[in-house]
Amino acid sequence: MAKRDLDLGEDKVLLEHVRRTGKGFYITFSILVALTLWGIYAYLTQYRYGLGVTGLSRQIFWGVYITNFVFFIGISHAGTFISAILRVAKAEWRRPISRSAELTTVFILLFGVGSVLVDLGRPDRMLYVIRYPHFRSPLLWDVICITTYLTVSSICLYLALIPDVALLRDLGEKRKWLYQVLALGYRGTERQRHLLDRGISFMAILVIPVMITVHTVVSFVFAMTIQPMWHSAIFGPYFVVGAIFSGIAAVIVAIAVIRKVFHLEAYLKPVHFNNLGILLLVMTLLWFYFTAAEYVTVFYGSEPGEMSIFWSKLTGRFSLLFWIDFVLCFLIPLPILAFRKTRTILGTFIASTSIIIGMWLERFVIIVPTLTQQRLSIERAIYIPTWVEWSILAGCISFFLLLYLFFVKLFPIVPIWEVREGREKSIVEVGERIKTYLPGGGKE
Amino acid sequence: MEIDRRGLLKAAGLSLLGLVGGSVWYVISRAKLPEPSPTPKTLVGKKWGMVIDLKKCWGTDGCTDCIDVCHRVHNVPRFGNPKDEIKWIWTVPYEKAFPEHQLEFIEEDVRARPVPVLCNQCDNPPCIKYCPTKATWRREDGVVMMDYHRCIGCRYCMAGCPYGSRSFNWKNPRPFIKKINFDFPTRTKGVVEKCNFCQERLIQGLLPACVEACKERALIFGDLNDPDSDVRRILRSRHTIQRHSELGTKPKVFYVL
Repeated sequence: MAKRDLDLGEDKVLLEHVRRTGKGFYITFSILVALTLWGIYAYLTQYRYGLGVTGLSRQIFWGVYITNFVFFIGISHAGTFISAILRVAKAEWRRPISRSAELTTVFILLFGVGSVLVDLGRPDRMLYVIRYPHFRSPLLWDVICITTYLTVSSICLYLALIPDVALLRDLGEKRKWLYQVLALGYRGTERQRHLLDRGISFMAILVIPVMITVHTVVSFVFAMTIQPMWHSAIFGPYFVVGAIFSGIAAVIVAIAVIRKVFHLEAYLKPVHFNNLGILLLVMTLLWFYFTAAEYVTVFYGSEPGEMSIFWSKLTGRFSLLFWIDFVLCFLIPLPILAFRKTRTILGTFIASTSIIIGMWLERFVIIVPTLTQQRLSIERAIYIPTWVEWSILAGCISFFLLLYLFFVKLFPIVPIWEVREGREKSIVEVGERIKTYLPGGGKE
Repeated sequence: MEIDRRGLLKAAGLSLLGLVGGSVWYVISRAKLPEPSPTPKTLVGKKWGMVIDLKKCWGTDGCTDCIDVCHRVHNVPRFGNPKDEIKWIWTVPYEKAFPEHQLEFIEEDVRARPVPVLCNQCDNPPCIKYCPTKATWRREDGVVMMDYHRCIGCRYCMAGCPYGSRSFNWKNPRPFIKKINFDFPTRTKGVVEKCNFCQERLIQGLLPACVEACKERALIFGDLNDPDSDVRRILRSRHTIQRHSELGTKPKVFYVL
């Protein structure tokens, strides 16, 4: 890389968190490791004694784990939506947040997959899905789509990481051997830049349809059965909307924390939170629209099997969860996000936290009530998750954060090359582009 | 020997390819196991069905003979709580078995009467579609089978069955079996199970255990393809109902009132 490129100038602060390890890191690290180990212990207990250690029963046989599965896969839609769609749409403000979004996608996906495996009665046989595949099963569609998504989004993350890794290598940072290998000989020549740009653009377009299929197929796990209030054509789009909704919220929370902890105020600015907040507002309204469409249709049709579940959610045993979910996903975020005055960093952070919790509850309220009152339910089954299930959830989240933390120790979380490219090239480009919109000016 | 970077990368790539390729081949090459095949002479051309005569069944109060026998010969464990419960045949109140009937005009005591329910051995079984590993399938003679050795315990078939006919082994069932019948396999924790229409007895030319156990002769079993069989005779002469026939599952357990 040329000498000029190695002079980071004010961007030096972006490498600060890779170079320096403070006390905070070790404290966070220890807490996360402890929680992760606790989660592993809970899983080992379950592995030993069987799924009977959970609150699941003959009738309510899916619970927290399947909720986690849908929820984590949902969160993973953040990366693609923000980094790929905004890239394709040439939204310049995406630059500093694209990596943390992609990172969230890749890492949380691992736990989406993990949640299904945790739910298996015979995890030792999980590879039977590959050895004796039955392609009529929606679960197999999940396996195919999620594997594809994981591969594609990992490639996206990696491609966009290469220039920064090469920079770290050339700066002679610690762990040079690692950067040496990962940089794949990238020198930042004109041709390499061009190839990389083409690669990233191609992957960005490829990942969008993959993302949509992933959550559609996740919803099909439920929609393809003939259980009341699962068997619904709206589930595909409803789940995709919910996924992007919770995903954007997760990215807002992530960058708010990163901004504070690593002192990146100059890069993650209020405008980013404002713009993401507007996107989140759109998703809030879309979520409400889909929810309303679903419940109104069910209510008007009044099919008895569906109605018993409908009422169990609105006024019955699940009403508390249902309405908390509604408040968290709609009533709290809507006013915060609707007004410019409250669409601040703190405001979007609060709205996002509320949405994340609300969306977990929403998945739970979609899955569990249907099982309590299936068409021929006999007893009124009760489901109270046990410590094992909560510990595994806590373990998953801690492990996810731990992976995130490791990544941030090794690589800059704000893509340096993207920020520089924005500064050096895009300002001119955008100016040129705007000229083409106007009469007479610029090249078409 | 000097190894340059390119050479090293090539070698690494080739060995990785070998590893991945090898394991894929291992998986694929073992995928073609023979399908478990029923004894041809007993099963070909047959389609098993059952009629449950509720009037006869209600003849004796509190009788659980069919349930006891079934659960004994099939090593169904007894946990004594509804959470872990496993059942192949059991009773539900009439109003739960046939919720679509005009219940408000049926007398209270009829609504509460026990109706024996079991796997309907559907002709169009929804459960088998969902299994990701083909651990459950419909046999030529219509029996919906379950392979306990292939089941991965995802419980998707339970979500697929609209009748709640399937149970899951939440715990190791063996300590909860009173007396193990060594002629029938026990199950491990983490797999799904259900009524198999006593296919292990059909092969020997015997009637299902529950049918044989019923002193009232309320359970009638036979070949639906044979116009002279007992089941066909009843289907011809009496009005029978099926549970949730509107779902298109084509249950092969019929009820007469």
